[in-house]
Amino acid sequence: MTDFLSTYGFLIVTMLQAGLLGLSLYFPLQAGQLSLASPGFYSLGGYVAAILLTNPAFAGLRDTLGNAMFPLTWLVAAVLAGLLGLLVGVPALRLRGIYLALATIAFVEVLRVISLNLSITGGAIGLFGIPQPFGIVDRWQYVFIFGPLLILTLLFARQMERSRVGRALRAIREDELAADAMGVPPTRYKVLAFVTGAVLAGIVGAMSAPLLSSWNARQGTFDASIAILAFVLIGGSRHTWGPVVGGALLTAVPEVLRFLADWRLVINGLVLVVASLYLPQGIVGALEKLGRPRPPQRPTPVKPAEVRP
Amino acid sequence: MSAVTSPGSVVLEARNMTRRFGGLIAVNDVSFDVREGEIFGLIGPNGAGKTTLFNLMTGLTPPSSGTLTYRGTTVTGLQPNRVAALGLSRTFQNIRLFKGLNALENVKIAQHVRTEAGLWRGVFGAAKAEEARVEARAWELLDLVGMADRAGELAANFSYGDQRKLEIARALATEPRVLLLDEPAAGMNTSEKGQLTGFIRQVRDQFNLTVLVIEHHVPLVMNLCDRVAVLNFGQLIAMGNPAEVQRDPKVIEAYLGGE
Repeated sequence: MTDFLSTYGFLIVTMLQAGLLGLSLYFPLQAGQLSLASPGFYSLGGYVAAILLTNPAFAGLRDTLGNAMFPLTWLVAAVLAGLLGLLVGVPALRLRGIYLALATIAFVEVLRVISLNLSITGGAIGLFGIPQPFGIVDRWQYVFIFGPLLILTLLFARQMERSRVGRALRAIREDELAADAMGVPPTRYKVLAFVTGAVLAGIVGAMSAPLLSSWNARQGTFDASIAILAFVLIGGSRHTWGPVVGGALLTAVPEVLRFLADWRLVINGLVLVVASLYLPQGIVGALEKLGRPRPPQRPTPVKPAEVRP
Repeated sequence: MSAVTSPGSVVLEARNMTRRFGGLIAVNDVSFDVREGEIFGLIGPNGAGKTTLFNLMTGLTPPSSGTLTYRGTTVTGLQPNRVAALGLSRTFQNIRLFKGLNALENVKIAQHVRTEAGLWRGVFGAAKAEEARVEARAWELLDLVGMADRAGELAANFSYGDQRKLEIARALATEPRVLLLDEPAAGMNTSEKGQLTGFIRQVRDQFNLTVLVIEHHVPLVMNLCDRVAVLNFGQLIAMGNPAEVQRDPKVIEAYLGGE
């Protein structure tokens, strides 16, 4: 067991992390918005945590709070990512489809270049010596940090989908104009979905900074945008589990195939091509098709007095 | 324009509504009143500006000038979702259902303005009573259009006629006071068209609605509408009861061409 964990522990953690980042892109996609901004918020969250955990200015705060400092970094990262999400989302979500994708890529690049040039973010070198939370000695133990967040996020997503807000997002995805005419304000819900994804990516970034023990401008790049998009597309964009399965799979495949040396990237590419050709709904979408969808059940009328004529 | 007496007070007042698209005047200085409870027909040749007028009335297209008021509240300038909240709901000429969602969801979504559960109440399951109400009402509306047995079917899989009926159910889910139907009979077969008159009247009576209807099918307009307005090249050329309008030389000329 210890052998397994020391070999694959870090991989399992990065699989969970990939699933979470996939989910951060899945939220705006619920409202039909193709945003590639997640790595930007992920990077921001990481910098927030790295600064709070290493900058001498916060030494006093760190001494007072001890381990409670780590949840504080998650919270601060969530709030700042949310605010930035709001700031970027309101103008950016006026764009549609590929234009929104392009604008969000630009956003990620702008953040990257800013972080390369600020002294507080350590410039091109980045920030080092980020302490480990809760006496973690081995990196596989990060499972206990990313695991609960993943479970909470999946529960959140499932509950949201079943609610009035989830219906509004689906309506906008299906037909924004008709949704508007039927009383759903599109801008408000598009921004809500975008900010939800931003907050999640920010928290994941803040949790990832100690995991990598250093943070620099390579953490939020265009490559990451595309990788995260692939998680969602391969896993399935219409089901909560899609990004999680896609993220885990696409993170694991190159590692498991490591014995193939240079060929592993070829296999990885083949998996991507084959999956997008034969599983347009993603892996989870294809599995879902196997089971027949349950027809909605009419609720038994309980109190007829409540039912409006 | 003849003076037509009709019961009910004026609920909708369109005043000098105009919409230009570049050099084209799609709707040109159109004014009319719609009275409570009436079924008001809007007819005219293709391209006369009927759908544009509906778009102006429901906020989908802002007017170049002119106003629409509903019971004294200015409708023009509001976003479509605010117009829906005010009580004006519509169907679309080119059917705009949420095609990838099932019939039940289509009708549930449209109750958005009459419900209020936000993100957190939804996530923590604290809106159970509201959800039950939404669910029950959605089934009732599917019953009304005779689709409760196909509630789980995707909207895209319904026949044209059924999609039109589902769109009416969806429009009713917003709990409107005024229902705007854009060519409800288009794509329906003869027997469906025959039943449509009775259905629209039934809906009007049951939900105390005022109904505006764009329609090409002349027998339907003649049987259904209390009053009819005729548009041609964006201008209102006649208004009155169906029989009067049918005899109006300007209307005959618009449809059949002049000398």
